[in-house]
Amino acid sequence: MTLTATRPATAVVKPPVRARRGSFRWPLWVLLALASVITVSPFFVMFVVALSPPGEPTLPARWPESLSLDTIVDLLSSSGFAGWTVNTVIYALVSVVITLLTASMAGYAFAKKRFPGRDTMMWAFLATLMVPSQATLIPMFVLVSGLGGVDTFWGLIVPTLANSQAVFLMRQFIRDLPDELFEAAKVDGASEWRVYWQIVIPLTRPILATLGVFVFLWHWNDFLWPLVMAQSDEMRTLTVGLASMRTEGSSLAVLMASAALSVLPCLLVFALLQRYLVNSIAMTGLK
Amino acid sequence: MRQRLRDPMAGLLFVLPMLVLFLVFRFVPILGAGGMSLTDLNLGGEWNFVGVDNYARLLDDPKFWDSLRITLVYVAIYVPLTVLVALGTALLLNAVVFMRGLFRGMLFLPYVTSFVLAGVIWRWIYEFDGVINGLLGKLDLGPVGFLEEAALVLPALAVVSAWKGFGYSMLILLAGLKSIPASYLEAATVDGAGPWQRFRRITLPLLRPALFFVVVIETIGAFQTFDTIYVMTGGGPARASYTLIYGLYDQGFKFSNLGYAATIGIVLFALVLVVSLAQRRLLDRGNA
Repeated sequence: MTLTATRPATAVVKPPVRARRGSFRWPLWVLLALASVITVSPFFVMFVVALSPPGEPTLPARWPESLSLDTIVDLLSSSGFAGWTVNTVIYALVSVVITLLTASMAGYAFAKKRFPGRDTMMWAFLATLMVPSQATLIPMFVLVSGLGGVDTFWGLIVPTLANSQAVFLMRQFIRDLPDELFEAAKVDGASEWRVYWQIVIPLTRPILATLGVFVFLWHWNDFLWPLVMAQSDEMRTLTVGLASMRTEGSSLAVLMASAALSVLPCLLVFALLQRYLVNSIAMTGLK
Repeated sequence: MRQRLRDPMAGLLFVLPMLVLFLVFRFVPILGAGGMSLTDLNLGGEWNFVGVDNYARLLDDPKFWDSLRITLVYVAIYVPLTVLVALGTALLLNAVVFMRGLFRGMLFLPYVTSFVLAGVIWRWIYEFDGVINGLLGKLDLGPVGFLEEAALVLPALAVVSAWKGFGYSMLILLAGLKSIPASYLEAATVDGAGPWQRFRRITLPLLRPALFFVVVIETIGAFQTFDTIYVMTGGGPARASYTLIYGLYDQGFKFSNLGYAATIGIVLFALVLVVSLAQRRLLDRGNA
């Protein structure tokens, strides 16, 4: 996951309203349009091939004369693809829910509680960011397979939940909430759990949404860990299934149809939450 | 008194779930990686303590040096490519107003997809009967084996990862550009500075922290490239794209040499650490 929380949002200086600098700058506009077309065109050709009638030679030799949903319908009714999709949905959604819960709890404790070892713990969590996940892939695999986690959902999900960026992001956000809120709740006799559930969770909703989207995309697109964990066909996720289709030589139309279907949730999330995603990267990535 | 005692316990309880996750699935594997690299553990679960034998074997292995060279060449192609594309598009987005939101969305779009998807689409785009060679054919230019020629495969892979990944860096740089006060640039214009001079003397120096951040992030990412290679070339042709990570995966899960694979993981960690520390030093000096 590449969401990098370093400093609070205040680090970004709002630009002053920009004075119009005259000209329309159309050469720059054309360049930008060209670059945008280049980034989008691979998706475009993927969808064209996915929607080509089966058995008809199409791109790059010629455009299909008509579009058809046949390949996609076939694919949706094949058990392999449906199974991969279900696995991916479980992997992504369960991870999102548990990560949001545990990270917001830890973030709340780090931000507003005093307890022995707090700063050491926070530092130790953050230090793990320096270790690339592939460097610990082998011991992780040995550990999880020793616990009987190969080919199980818990083996797939639980080891990916220790997420220091999520904890840190939550801590930064909760730290900026006014202390008076928590003190008032305590004076009113609210239990710790109630304070968390009725103050922390509602007030952190925007950051929970952003974090949730990133955790979802990260799990939906994750490859190496599911590849290692899913040793039977039944446990494959979409990325692992797609890679296996490629090496097992599925037809181009079927391959592109699977690719197109597997990316739809990401495109949907992106279309709905573009502004959120973009702003949060601008906010959190910059020192 | 009770009130005081309640607080530390509550804090610990709230951290507890994440703490357990970190202890078991971060700290144990990190320590385990070091320990495992000193054994000849295999997939059967048998192991002996072999001291630094794995490291000695690595240093003696010409294939290791090959994969290290390939990894470094890949990083040297990917990082400048991605950073330049990200900088270029960020500058354009910053300068253009009409339909800016739409363009930003289109440019960022590949970032939300997976490297596997990028690899699947682009493998076909690169193939002999793929899109690029189809276009080249219309221009009467011979088919190019992007993934079949050793000299082309690393740049071809770098283009795919850059396509998929540059959007993140682009947004970071765009935020950096927006934080540069317009009055600086206007003052420079009044003083007669041309576009290049303004870029060179004002934009670039003020963008430097964001630029360094992006370079560090992209370098670390490039060292970890695996998915696209797995899907597109399988390390080929003739090992021309056989990176360190690919070797780690093969040794661990194809040849079942878990101890040896863990050793490659330690080398990767050391490399990433050295590179990020070096870049950090450069960054600090740049700011001084």
